[in-house]
Amino acid sequence: MKQLPALDSDATIRLSRQGGFAAIQALSRPREIDFASCNERQRQQICSVLEGCLPLATSPSGQGDRRYYQIELRFRQQERDDEMVLQVPEEQAPGELVRLWDKGEVL
Amino acid sequence: MFARNSHHGFIPPYILKRIIDNGSQHQRDRALGTLAHVRNLLPNPGPPNRQPMASVLPERGRPGEPRRSVHDAQQQMVLPGVLARIEGQPPVADAAVDEAYDALGTTHEFFWQVFGRDSIDNHGFPLIGTVHYGVDYENAFWNGAQMVFGDGDGEILNRFTLSLDVVAHELAHGVTESEAGLVYFNQSGALNESVSDVFGVLVRQFSLKQTADQADWLIGAELLTDNVQGDALRSMANPGSAYDDPLLGKDPQPGHMRDFIDTRDDNGGVHLNSGIPNRAFYLAATALGGYAWEKAGRIWYDTLCDRRLANDADFSAFARLAVDNAIARFGAGSDEERAVAQAWADVGVNP
Repeated sequence: MKQLPALDSDATIRLSRQGGFAAIQALSRPREIDFASCNERQRQQICSVLEGCLPLATSPSGQGDRRYYQIELRFRQQERDDEMVLQVPEEQAPGELVRLWDKGEVL
Repeated sequence: MFARNSHHGFIPPYILKRIIDNGSQHQRDRALGTLAHVRNLLPNPGPPNRQPMASVLPERGRPGEPRRSVHDAQQQMVLPGVLARIEGQPPVADAAVDEAYDALGTTHEFFWQVFGRDSIDNHGFPLIGTVHYGVDYENAFWNGAQMVFGDGDGEILNRFTLSLDVVAHELAHGVTESEAGLVYFNQSGALNESVSDVFGVLVRQFSLKQTADQADWLIGAELLTDNVQGDALRSMANPGSAYDDPLLGKDPQPGHMRDFIDTRDDNGGVHLNSGIPNRAFYLAATALGGYAWEKAGRIWYDTLCDRRLANDADFSAFARLAVDNAIARFGAGSDEERAVAQAWADVGVNP
């Protein structure tokens, strides 16, 4: 299982809902979250949501029109830009992840 | 708290701006309703069983007879849902149930009569469909054991059982899984999608007894509501022309390799780049004329079932085998061989 990297204020997250028969880009509704604009509590809450997704993440290949949530993390590690991509099947996605994608909110 | 932003990634900024600027409160409300149900989901039950529950399976009949059962998820997201209609029962007072039942029957009949194929696995696999999945759910899918259809949001998309080619498309995913098993990622995934579109339109044309030049070659024409400026979700004849809408933007499908989209979204653009093999099929079918399922469709089916087709095949590999299968069935130097080779060349794929 992947481990979540340390996400500092220079990290960004892109959340989107991908796939589906009607793969209209409008329905993927990507959301960008810039950690620089979050306070420490919000960052911790988001990291908690992401850690909950780690055991649910699947391989990059999907199955006939099934939708999934894509989490793209961009961060700096050891003075280099790095990236991690997670894909969580729609039917397994935690409600907190869906809320973060849909409303931009954490509880 | 966190704004939607488009300066990274592959979503064209103009699309997002239009959605943010023009998306209605109703669309937001529908998304929130879906969210409430998603949040209530039980923990992951694990991968779907290869066979649905025995209690909901229609009895095994003679070869070539469908075994349908349609279930009602009652706006929940639990499968298969409550049994609503099983093989042999008369219509019920639910359009989605009856549409799914009829469309599964028509698709089964198509594969049996045209290719002699007995259902998804060629061994009478039960055709299980679930309708009314989720609240305003804007999708239909194949989960490895059954087909699932949402009701759509009613504002952008209608219920997914309205389009015969959509139901056939999902069933065809099961056929592909049983044959070449094309990996649902990048070019092999786009081929997987394209094969489903091909059989989707062929089932519609078969149902309407349309020749290639009479058909509209549209996918999901009934799905778009009157609010959307467009004809369908995809066009096999002219990928990229299916819709052009202030909210949804323009159909992004390419129809030629020079416009191939390199993206990590959508499993590597499987619903985008499928426009290229889709157009190749359209070109071959219209060049050959007559009923598309008799020649081009037969060649594509033979190719899908060809054991030489690797599960990670790219467009060129599929094209090469399509030409081989045209020769095997219709002869070297035949019109069919030439039409298939030319069709792939015309979309920039060299067999």
